[in-house]
Amino acid sequence: MAKVLETTGMVCPFPLVEAKEAIADMVKGEELIINFDCTQATESIPRWAATEGHEITEFEQIDDAKWRIIVKKGK
Amino acid sequence: MLQMIVLGIICGLLLGFVLQRGRFCVVGAYRDLILAKDGRMFLATFVVIAIQSIGVYALNDTGVIQFGNDGFPWLGTIVGGFIFGIGMVLAGGCATGTWYRAGEGMIGSWVALFGYMLGAAMTKYGVWKVAGDNLLSYRTNDTYIHETLNVSPWVLVIIVTLLVGILVIRELRKPKLPIFKMKPKKTGLAHILFEKRWHPFVTALLVGLIAIMAWPLSAMTGRMFGLGITAPSANILTFLITGDDALIDWGTFLVVGIFLGAFIAAKGSGEFRWRLPDMKTLRNNAIGGVTMGFGASVAGGCTIGNGLVNSALFAWQGWIAIIFFLLGTWVATYFTIIRKQKQAAAASKAA
Repeated sequence: MAKVLETTGMVCPFPLVEAKEAIADMVKGEELIINFDCTQATESIPRWAATEGHEITEFEQIDDAKWRIIVKKGK
Repeated sequence: MLQMIVLGIICGLLLGFVLQRGRFCVVGAYRDLILAKDGRMFLATFVVIAIQSIGVYALNDTGVIQFGNDGFPWLGTIVGGFIFGIGMVLAGGCATGTWYRAGEGMIGSWVALFGYMLGAAMTKYGVWKVAGDNLLSYRTNDTYIHETLNVSPWVLVIIVTLLVGILVIRELRKPKLPIFKMKPKKTGLAHILFEKRWHPFVTALLVGLIAIMAWPLSAMTGRMFGLGITAPSANILTFLITGDDALIDWGTFLVVGIFLGAFIAAKGSGEFRWRLPDMKTLRNNAIGGVTMGFGASVAGGCTIGNGLVNSALFAWQGWIAIIFFLLGTWVATYFTIIRKQKQAAAASKAA
């Protein structure tokens, strides 16, 4: 079961702050779907995932200034 | 007048475009030092300083540009810098960041921008002028660090450039993180300009070059300074109200150019959309904007004017401002983000 985190409308750094909080309560291998529209997060979320060892299974721009990224909890 | 418009807009367009595509965000750089324990973007701001310092002192030596010498307004810089740091966290972007995010369609940034113009205009011309002038009246004799140390500015240029160079090489040698990239949908130049992730040091290099270019372009229109955001922002609002066209200069067209450049970059890469944040964020953006306007006016510059330009001149004002921008940013980040994270962590432990 994937968890969905809606951060559309939130400005940076809040999408990432919320993502960190959400993933803390999840188990390894579980997926977190993050919807966001803060441009700077296209940089900060993938970078955070790589640093923390979470896998990104999907990252797509779904509309003008709207993105969806799926992060699979690593450890 | 036409020359002023063209030269200002060109510089602004380039800067706005580069900032948007490079996701160059000074408040992010300062904030991430404590929030993400990540100094990469902070180092990028020093890449801008180092490159610009070489360029502007070379231009100064050849006599193309001259630097002012009216002392270091230490009290204003300290107080204003700290207040500006708090303001830019609440506003969700520094002064320049606010201009370029307005170009991306962020309504919160439009609110912050209006607050910023208002706060700066009130401090320069209005009811806060008394406080601003008072704070700015405490000045030291020396303007520049090399003046106090009694050395050539080139000594500092070389030291800073070497230090930044070493740190950049160290950063680039770190094992590459396997960062996930979106599938490219564009090719060639369109991919590079409107899609590709730009390395922060490449962005910083470009910002540094634009910052150098700003000096002679601005000087050609009779304005002897580099990139500056605060005075033009205050002047636009004041001009709109008073109609006094003496307030219009190269800087006015620079900031308008930043807005347009960011809009073109965002539109071209499918990143423009009108976006409305929640009420609480809007409130913070409004408060942050006005706070930032007061802070920047009293500090004699924002994170560009002081943080990137005065610092590249090795003016005391630039370096002391950076320290207090950082402190203000950290205090505001602690109260708006870190404290809540700690409380949430404690609550989930107790549960």
